[in-house]
Amino acid sequence: MLDQLLKKLIKNSAGQTKLVLAVIGLSIALILILSAVQLQSNYYELLNGKKNQDSVANFLVINKALTDQNVGASSLSGAQLNDLKKQAFTESIGSLTTSRYKASIQSNSQLFPFYTDIAFESVPEEFIDVNTKDWKWDEQAAFLPIIVPNQFLDFYNFQYSFSQNLPQLTPQVVKMVSFKVTIQGSGQNHSLNGRVVGFSNRISSMLVPQPFMDWANSKFASTNMIQQPSRVIIKTKDAGSPALTDYLKKEGLITDSDKTRFSRYRQVVDFVVNISSVTGLLMFTFALLIFSLFIQLTIESCKEEIELLILIGNSPKNIGRFLMKRFFPPNVYIVLIGLMFISIAQYLLADYLVSKQIILSSFLSLFTFLAALLLLIVISIVNYITIQKYLRIKQRTK
Amino acid sequence: MNLILDRLIPYSLKDRIASSSSAIWNQIVTFDESNKIKIEAPSGTGKTTLTHILYKVRADYTGSIKYDDLELGKCNEDALAELRQHHLSIVFQDLRLFPELTAFENIEIKRLLTPQFSTQELVFEMAEALGVASILDQKIRFCSFGEQQRIAIIRALMQPFNWLILDEPFSHLDQENIKLASKLIASACEKRNAGLVIMGLNKDHYFDYSKELVL
Repeated sequence: MLDQLLKKLIKNSAGQTKLVLAVIGLSIALILILSAVQLQSNYYELLNGKKNQDSVANFLVINKALTDQNVGASSLSGAQLNDLKKQAFTESIGSLTTSRYKASIQSNSQLFPFYTDIAFESVPEEFIDVNTKDWKWDEQAAFLPIIVPNQFLDFYNFQYSFSQNLPQLTPQVVKMVSFKVTIQGSGQNHSLNGRVVGFSNRISSMLVPQPFMDWANSKFASTNMIQQPSRVIIKTKDAGSPALTDYLKKEGLITDSDKTRFSRYRQVVDFVVNISSVTGLLMFTFALLIFSLFIQLTIESCKEEIELLILIGNSPKNIGRFLMKRFFPPNVYIVLIGLMFISIAQYLLADYLVSKQIILSSFLSLFTFLAALLLLIVISIVNYITIQKYLRIKQRTK
Repeated sequence: MNLILDRLIPYSLKDRIASSSSAIWNQIVTFDESNKIKIEAPSGTGKTTLTHILYKVRADYTGSIKYDDLELGKCNEDALAELRQHHLSIVFQDLRLFPELTAFENIEIKRLLTPQFSTQELVFEMAEALGVASILDQKIRFCSFGEQQRIAIIRALMQPFNWLILDEPFSHLDQENIKLASKLIASACEKRNAGLVIMGLNKDHYFDYSKELVL
C-alpha cells in the first residue's frame, strides 16, 4: 500500500529510452560473458568428461625429430628429460627401454609356420593400457607375455595375410597361439615361449615386461651401448594444450601429431572465449554505468518528493529499499533471459555435435549458473551503492 | 518527554539576537511534557527558523535541543526517522504536501508509516469533522490553501507523538473552522498525553496555554 503511493511519487521520469538502452546493453553483455563461461566449461567437459575420455590422447610417445644433423644421436639427455618432467602439462613421464640384442619369433606349429626378426620395447607398467594378470615375468616364468600394437594385427589381417595366403586371425586366436622367442647376443642364445596377452592403441611397439627387458639387456646386450632412452612416454591431462605443442616445437621433439591436433581447436576456442569475455566485461561495465546514470537521474528528478518523504518520517534506508525494489528486478529478468538464451544455444549445439560424435551436455554447466549469480550480485551491489550515494547527496545538499 | 532548548542561536539571526531580548533565543528553556506552549513571534524574529530547528529540517545553529536525553544535533538518520514517526509531529507553515497526490493519499502516506496506530476510518472521521470529506479524492494542487491546511492538520494527527509543532496552522481558516480544528488537535494531544508548541504572529486563545513566550 505504502509502496503503491511511493511508486506514484517516484516516477520513471528519467526516460524510457535510457532504461531500454541500459537493459539492452546489460543483456548483450551478460549473454557474451555467460557464453564465454559456457564455452570454456564445454571444452573442459570435452577434455575431462568420462564420455569423451580418449585414452590415446592422454599418453604421448615423444622423441626427437630426426634431421640430418642428429642422425645417430637421437637419445634424449638427462637435462632434457628433467625439463620435460617440469612442464605443467606433464603428469608423469616414463622412458621406453629398447632391446639391445637380436630377437626373433618363430611358430611352434607346422600348420601355421612363420618366422620374423623382431625388436622389443618396455615401459613402466603404469603407462600400459592393457589390463591383464599375465603381465609379469621372472626367470622361472613359463612364458614371455607380449603386448602387440593394434595396427600390427590390422596390418597382418588386412595386408600381409592376403599377400602370403595366410588365414586371418582374430585377437582371441592370436592370444591362444604360443610361439618361440629366441634372443641372441654376447655370443649366447636363449629360447623361451612367448604369447600375445593384449593389444595396445597407445604405444606402437612390441612390448615386454620391464623385468624381462632389464634381465635380457644385462645378459645379452652386445656392447655397452648408450643407456639414455631416445623415446619417452608422458601422461598429460590435455594433449590438446597449445603449451605442449609449442614446447615440443621449440625443443625439436615430435609426437603423434594426430593426438595433438586438438591444440589447434583449443587455440581457436581460447581466442573466441577471450574476445567474448573481454567484450562482455567491457559492455557490462558500460551498461552498469548507464544503469547507474539512470538511477541517478531518477533520484534527481524526484528530489523534492524524496526530501518530503524523509521529512514526514520515512528513513532514507526505507526509501533506498524501495528504490532497490524498483530498479533491481529488471536485472533479474535480464539474467534469466540471458540464461534461457544460452540454454537454447547449448541445447542446439549439443544436438548438432552428437552427429559429429562429440558428446556434450545439453544443459548449462554449474559454472555458468554461478557466473550468472556472481554477475547478479555485482549488479545489485552497484545498484545499492548508487542509490545510497545519491540519496545521501540529496540529504547533504538540503 | 521534556523539551529543552539550550542557548539556541541560529547563524542567520546572530546579530539580531545580540541586540534584542528573546524568551527563547540564547536562553535555557524547558518545556515540560504535555504542556501547551504558545510562542508569539512578530515577523522576522525567526518563527519558521525555530520550527525547522525543532524538527531538524535545518541544523545551522549553536546551542542544543534535547528531547529528553536525545540530543537532536547528534541523532542519526535512523533515530531521526524514529523520532518523526513516533514522538514528533508537525504542521509546517507552508504545509509541505505532495501536490500530485490526492488529499486522501497525502494523509495515507503518513498514516501507513504507523498503520497500527490509526485506522482509515479515523481519516474519514476527521475529514468529516473539519469539513474536507468531499475533497479527499482531489489532487492537493487543486485544493484551496484552507483545505490544504486542514489536510495537513489531519496528516499530523495520524501518528503517535509527544510533541506537536504547529507553525501558524490556522492562517487560512475562518473562526468556525479554527474552533473545530483546535478542538480536534486538543483532543488528539489529550489522547496521547502530548504537548504542543504553536507559533503565531499575535496573541490568541486557540488552546489553554500553560506558557506563553515571545520570541
